[in-house]
Amino acid sequence: MLFSFAGTLKTFALPALVVYFTAGRSQEPAPFVGRWMPWADISNGEFWMLLLLVPGAIAAVARYLSFRVRYEGTELVIRSGILFRNERHVPYLRIQNLDTSRNVVHRLLGVTNVRVETGGGNEPEATISVLDDRVFDEMRRRVFEGRARAGGPREATADEAPVAAPDEALTLLHLPLRELLLHGFLENRGLILIGAAYGALWQFGLPTALWQRLTGGWDAPRLVNEALQEVESGHAVTIVQVAILIAGLVGILVLVRLVSMAWAVTRLYDFRLSLAGQDLRAEYGLLTRVSTRIPLPRVQTLTIRETPLQRLVGRMSVRAETAGGHGPAEGGARPFERERLAPIVETDRVPALVRQVLPGFDIGALAWQPIHPRAFRRALKPYLFVALAPVVPLVFFLSVWWLAATPITIAWAVVASRKHVEHMAWAITDTAVVFRSGWLWRHVTVAPIAKIQAVACSESPFDRRAAMRSVRVDTAGGNERSHRVDIPYLGRDTADVLHLRLAEQISRTAFRW
Amino acid sequence: MDSDSDAVESIADGVDRKLDPRVIPLQRTLGWIPTAILSAISLVFVTFVWADSGILALGLLLMPLWLAGVVALAWQFQRWPAIAYRFASYRIDELGIEIRRGVYWRTITNVPRSRVQHTDVSQGPLERRYGLGTLVIYTAGMAHSRVNLEGLDHEVARRIRAHLLPKDEGDAV
Repeated sequence: MLFSFAGTLKTFALPALVVYFTAGRSQEPAPFVGRWMPWADISNGEFWMLLLLVPGAIAAVARYLSFRVRYEGTELVIRSGILFRNERHVPYLRIQNLDTSRNVVHRLLGVTNVRVETGGGNEPEATISVLDDRVFDEMRRRVFEGRARAGGPREATADEAPVAAPDEALTLLHLPLRELLLHGFLENRGLILIGAAYGALWQFGLPTALWQRLTGGWDAPRLVNEALQEVESGHAVTIVQVAILIAGLVGILVLVRLVSMAWAVTRLYDFRLSLAGQDLRAEYGLLTRVSTRIPLPRVQTLTIRETPLQRLVGRMSVRAETAGGHGPAEGGARPFERERLAPIVETDRVPALVRQVLPGFDIGALAWQPIHPRAFRRALKPYLFVALAPVVPLVFFLSVWWLAATPITIAWAVVASRKHVEHMAWAITDTAVVFRSGWLWRHVTVAPIAKIQAVACSESPFDRRAAMRSVRVDTAGGNERSHRVDIPYLGRDTADVLHLRLAEQISRTAFRW
Repeated sequence: MDSDSDAVESIADGVDRKLDPRVIPLQRTLGWIPTAILSAISLVFVTFVWADSGILALGLLLMPLWLAGVVALAWQFQRWPAIAYRFASYRIDELGIEIRRGVYWRTITNVPRSRVQHTDVSQGPLERRYGLGTLVIYTAGMAHSRVNLEGLDHEVARRIRAHLLPKDEGDAV
């Protein structure tokens, strides 16, 4: 079962060149023929630009000439390159989508731009820029036939049958107005919003005008400047001035919180998270009513966050990472606004919520394991560096008296690193691996075994000296800044056991989107 | 396909394997490129400093220094591949692939077969001269969305790939 259409592609090398010149630059506002075909309009002096295109054109032709697609029993094989040869095997089962786009030139020549997408990475697995329409139809037919042969579409797998009837939705979380106001107060988005609003207004030069009208020409910066000058010149500041300054500061803080609360209410008004069969549904919003849905099997990881303020009032927030959120989704609709499952939820209700989202996993019954007892000594060093580094320039450039600050910063470093290490812990069950970290801002991330893509155990030179290793679990979704299961400071033996156990457990489970 | 799977059985034996030793001369050859670029840039810089200082005798100090630097750099690039080779290995069994790498920062990466999205076997012009190839494994993860295994015999790379790709039942286990 071998099919190659090298001949077809060769016939299209010339059209390929044309398409490359006219439409390959999709970021150009409009493919303007005169620009890329200088013989049409040489007088504008852009002829030399053609020279810049020569290497690209040669590369394009080379790519098209060397391009081969082969259909095998279970996979699509794409070969390309003359100097740097590459052979890519894409199993039919893994192909999520065959995306096509055709512009005017494509349509005129009867060719298609095809993107073969699987779940991996951020970019399409293969981009075939110029493919004869008939060949594309053939490809689509073979890929989907191949998928059907190799186990059928996974959406219809029997063991994923809905547990409950899909029409009766179970409400997991409903946020009343009071909780939303609290959420806005705790999150403190106000500063960002005010900053953004100020920036937007500033673009139009409005603030000055607005300020003048609001205050009748009362100039706050000048007031502050005058007060500072008075202090510098040794005059006592009047109580009135101090009072105004403090009132201003308090006013700003209150305003920021109020704006944040208003933001929370507008965005998340009547937030309702419900579970219907295998679908998580969230509905929220005052002005724009958002209604989103994530199928439970698409939840890749779950992260529970607790800020110091949230802890004070006994609240947490829970978010889920889903895969395939890379880049703008089709039709511009984002899958789930930041994948928030619960922007705010009472701490004691979290285990129940987690149990609903990850059936069979009980976060309350975990056997937490601490990291290595000697981890404190290692964690202290970076903290000490952060604590002492700013003191050096201060002493050097300002005054030796800054040395007096060192006991305070060192004390902070000791306490912070001690707490940092104390709050770090991990746990593993038959269905998931969990990592907890953070002292003031606490995070707990649950990675279900079936959603883990790869495990890595690493040892830095510092690790080696202390006989430690770290274990990292890679999952789909999220970004570089997301909290992940990345456990540092493990004893060498502990790390090896955990690594092996994970590798073993992962291999025995199947990964489904 | 059938003659292929016989060879495949022999590779998925769970035994630690070293890379192909030809990767050492390949990496050494590749090492001349950064050596040349870095020495050219530093030569321009050193000459500029010399000319700018206006002291003719400074060259007697700077030029030997530059030469020593270049020699040290070249030596490092020539000796490193053999060291890196000692610490690199891979192991393949029924469940997946395990790759060990790194001299100072050592990492063991495990990618199970059921998580392989697709694979590449690529071969650059130099690799072709040495008969080597690079296996690239793609997963759906973030940090390990692309796992490279350089310095394999081209045929071995193809056999590993054949082993890693799901055969018929896909990822339903």
